[in-house]
This record gives sequence, C-alpha cells and structure tokens, in this order.
Amino acid sequence: MVKGKSEILFSKIATYLILSFCSIFSIFPFFWMISTALKPDTEIYSTTPSFFSNNFSLTNFIEVLNESDFLTFFKNSFFVSVVTTIIGLIIAVLAGYSLSRFGRYKSIKFAGFSLTVSQMVPGVLLLIPIYMIFKEIHLINSYTALILAYSTFVIPLSTFMMKGFLDSVSISLEESAALDGASRFRTLVQIILPVSIPSLVSTGLYTFVTAWNEYMFGYVLINDVAHRTLTPGITLFRGQFTTDWGNLMAASVLAVIPVTIIFAFLQRYLISGLMSGAVKG
Amino acid sequence: MEQFKKMNKETANRLNSLVYMGPAIIFMVFLIGIPLIQVIWDSFHAKSLTNPNLNGFVGLNNFKKVLSDQLFISNLNNTIIWTVLSVFGELILGLIVGIALNQKIKGRVIFRSLIIVPWIVPIAVAGLTWTWMLNPDYGIINYLLVKTGLIDHSIYWLGNAKTSLLTVTFINIWRTFPYWVISILAGLQSIPEDLYEASAIDGANIFQRFFHVTLPGLKNVITTLIFMHIIWTSVNFDFIWITTEGGPNYSSETLPIMIYRYAMKNYDIGSSSALSVIIISILLMLFAVIPLVRLLTRKKKIKEAA
Repeated sequence: MVKGKSEILFSKIATYLILSFCSIFSIFPFFWMISTALKPDTEIYSTTPSFFSNNFSLTNFIEVLNESDFLTFFKNSFFVSVVTTIIGLIIAVLAGYSLSRFGRYKSIKFAGFSLTVSQMVPGVLLLIPIYMIFKEIHLINSYTALILAYSTFVIPLSTFMMKGFLDSVSISLEESAALDGASRFRTLVQIILPVSIPSLVSTGLYTFVTAWNEYMFGYVLINDVAHRTLTPGITLFRGQFTTDWGNLMAASVLAVIPVTIIFAFLQRYLISGLMSGAVKG
Repeated sequence: MEQFKKMNKETANRLNSLVYMGPAIIFMVFLIGIPLIQVIWDSFHAKSLTNPNLNGFVGLNNFKKVLSDQLFISNLNNTIIWTVLSVFGELILGLIVGIALNQKIKGRVIFRSLIIVPWIVPIAVAGLTWTWMLNPDYGIINYLLVKTGLIDHSIYWLGNAKTSLLTVTFINIWRTFPYWVISILAGLQSIPEDLYEASAIDGANIFQRFFHVTLPGLKNVITTLIFMHIIWTSVNFDFIWITTEGGPNYSSETLPIMIYRYAMKNYDIGSSSALSVIIISILLMLFAVIPLVRLLTRKKKIKEAA
C-alpha cells in the first residue's frame, strides 16, 4: 500500500473514534434500560439521574414477575414463536427444495416469482382484511391467528435462504440414494437435511426472532390477556396518565433476554443469513 | 420401454415439484392473495367494522372521502419526510460505520457485535426505552443536553408537534442503521483489494478512492438497500404507534397509522381499504419508476462511452 504515514495514523484514529462513538450510541439505551430497572423508584424519578445506583434493587423485577401478567405474555410469545419456527421451517425446506431442484419448470418459476412479490407486499396493507377474515372465522384472540400470520410473512425469505443452501448440495448425493431405491422425500429427510443443519439453524433463528419481535399483528389480532404476546404486552405497562418506568424497563430487560442469548451464541449464523438475504435483496 | 420410463419419471418430478411447493403457495394465496383482493373489493364498497347492515357498491366514494380528508396531504407529507430522512440517515451512518468496520484494526469483531445490537431488539422495547430516555421530567437525554448547555430547558421531544416526527425518525435510524452496516460491510468485502492499491499508486487520495472505488463497488448493494427501505419505512406502523400514536394532534401521523385509525377508531373499513389501495398504487408507481431511471442512466453511459 502506498499511503503516507500520517494518512495511516489519521485514518486509524478516525476509525477508532467513529467506532467507539457509534458503539456507545448503539449500546447506551440498553445500558440505561438495565440501569433504570435496577434502581429504586426514588432514584428513577430524580431530576439529577445517576448512571450507577448505589442502592441496587431487584424490586422492579420482582413486581413485574409477581404482580403483572408478564409471565403469561412471555409464555405466549415463546409458544407462538416456537410453533411458527417449526411450521415455517418445514414449509421453507419443502418449497426451497422445489425451487432448487425443479426450478426449470414454468409452474415452479411462477411460484418463485409469486413468493418474491409476496415478500414485497407490506403487512400493514393486509392488516385490516386479515383482521376481518379472522373475525369471520373466529380466529381473533387465538394463537392460531398469530402463527398463521407470522408464518406467512417469514415463508418467502426463509424459502430463498433454504434454496440458496440446497443449490450447493450436490445432486449426485441424491442420485445415488435414488439408485438404492429411496424415495425423493426419504432422500430429502435422511440425506439432505442432516448436511443442512447450519442453514436450518440460521433460517430457524431468523423466523424465531421475527415472530418474537413482531408487534403490529400481535397488537391488533389479540385483545385478551390470556393470548397476548410480549411486545404488545409490555406497551401496556405504560399507563394513560402515569407510567411505572421501573417496571416497564425491568419487563423490557426480561423481554430482550431470549433474543440476546440467541444472538450471543449464534451471531455468526445470524449475520451470514442476514448477509445472504441482504445481498440478494 | 426406456422412453416410457423416462416420461414416467418426468411426470413424477412435475408432480413432486408441485406437492413440495404446495404448502407455501397455500399460505401465500390465503393470507396474502385473498386479503389483497379483499382490500381492493372493500375499497369500492361501504363497509363498517361495527355495523354489518352497511354494505353495497359505492363506486369511488371511499377514495373521494380519503383524498378530501384534510389530514391526507399532511400525512402524506409526514410519510415522505419520515421515509426520506430515515433512509438518508441510515445510508450515511451505514456507509461511515461500514467503511470503518472494514479497516484492519484490533477489536473490530467486538465493535461489530456492539453496533448490531439495536437491530436484534424488538421495536416495542426500543421505542419504549427511547420514550423513557426522552422523558421531559426525568429523562437522561434532556438532563445531558441541559447540562452540556446544548439546550436551555427540557424539551418534550415526543410530545411537541414540532419535534415529534423528527424524534421518531431519529429512533428509527438508531434501530435500523445496523442492518445497513452489515449489508454494506458484505458489499465492501467483495471489492477487490488491488483496486484500492491501484488507485493509491495512481495518487488518488482518501476521498477520491471513496468516490471512484468504494461507491461504484457498492452501487448494487446500496440501490437494493435504498429501494427496500423506502418501502419498509414508508409502511412502518410500529415505531410511530408505540412512541406517539401519530400525535400530538396528528403531527407525526403517517399513512399506515391513518389506515389503522380509519378502521379501528372510526370503524370505517371502506375508507381504510381505499387508503390502502392508494398506498399500493403509489408503491407500484415507485416500482415502475426505478427500471425507467436505470434505463435512462444506462443510455447516458452508452452515449458518454461513445
């Protein structure tokens, strides 16, 4: 590299400054969320807020867990997200396999095109008609409503993620299994899926996080506490006139834990999945 | 016999292809296709959420009602401001941080992990946390701004008609820019290193290298990002609903919020559907414009080359 020494030094310092500043910018709200959740009320509602409290307190967490519907919301979100992940993965594997192996057929080409178009249709435009249809068939206030809606919105991208991976699995593997007399479906389950685990993990994570974080459909399709999920649930901690910010921040911390754990352990999968999706658009 | 066997296999393959694709198609038809047709149908009919007796074809009445709504133009304006500023802010931050993360420096994995954090968190949590930090009485942001002398007294950022939309836009940029960083980073890593070296040998400075090597190399990634995010941002419901619900006094209301308000507050499904159809039309026009722009710039390039 032909660069002046001063230029190298300058760009190094600039790089560190930019990255440090942006890291703080990204992280600070979480720091503040945790800090507030751990403070006693007297310090939360202080006109001179402190960064670290001297009277560390778990009261907010205990109140959220014991005196609110938080655990119901959490359980509902978990159930809906897990079922959505399973259904989404099964459908994406099948459709991705079809796109990858039979993409030469006009019908499958058209199906692939339809999936691309579906991906572009904004959810908010379908919100009201889906609400009306679900009302008609009595699905409002049911897990099924959310599972159906979430599956629909993750299927296109999941399918393309799976197709991208299955394209890289050699066809000769399948052909030898077919010669041994195995059916196509058995080959898919017994030969192809075991080598697809990394892409199953990243597709599954994408689905789980999408379902876990979704707000709008959860807010509109569910009106009772028994079925309400976490994201609309925590917004209820905000009252009409007064808000218990300590409780709200404690609930937020707890709501973020699952996605943080997923992310901490499987960051590589998630980023590579995101990148492959992003580059293809 | 051989021919027969081959044909049989071909038929089996065709059948298989459809069976495997089937479940995905069923979902798309029932949860995207039919609702989409329903929305278009409803936009030409009188329909109420609460009164089942209200029905019948009303022609363009719903559209007239929406277009003559005084808030329509201001909400369209809000939607454009919200979308353009968000995408612009995300692009600038994404480029700066993406390029910084592409340098060979120590700790870049840690920086990347920290910077991506906002993107993995639910919008609901992000919106509420910022609402708390921006609180006029006890919020940390006002405290810091007053203390450093940047403002004289606390501002009710989300509760003031002048600042509400811009503040939500800022929160959106904070939550979304990591996605741009990761995508731009992926794009940067596909630019061959020797292109930079060659231009450095030619005596190009840091800015010339940016405009002649980096930007052209990122053209495809950036075009896709801008295009996708114009759609995603303009139709986003969550950020605004969670932080301001479109208020105060509709100052931060965008068209998606208006769809919800028409249907769930005014119980007017007809108008809500008409507004949806209007938004679909605007988005379709955007779709039509982009290939056109591409075609024109390509022609210009060919001319320049000749």
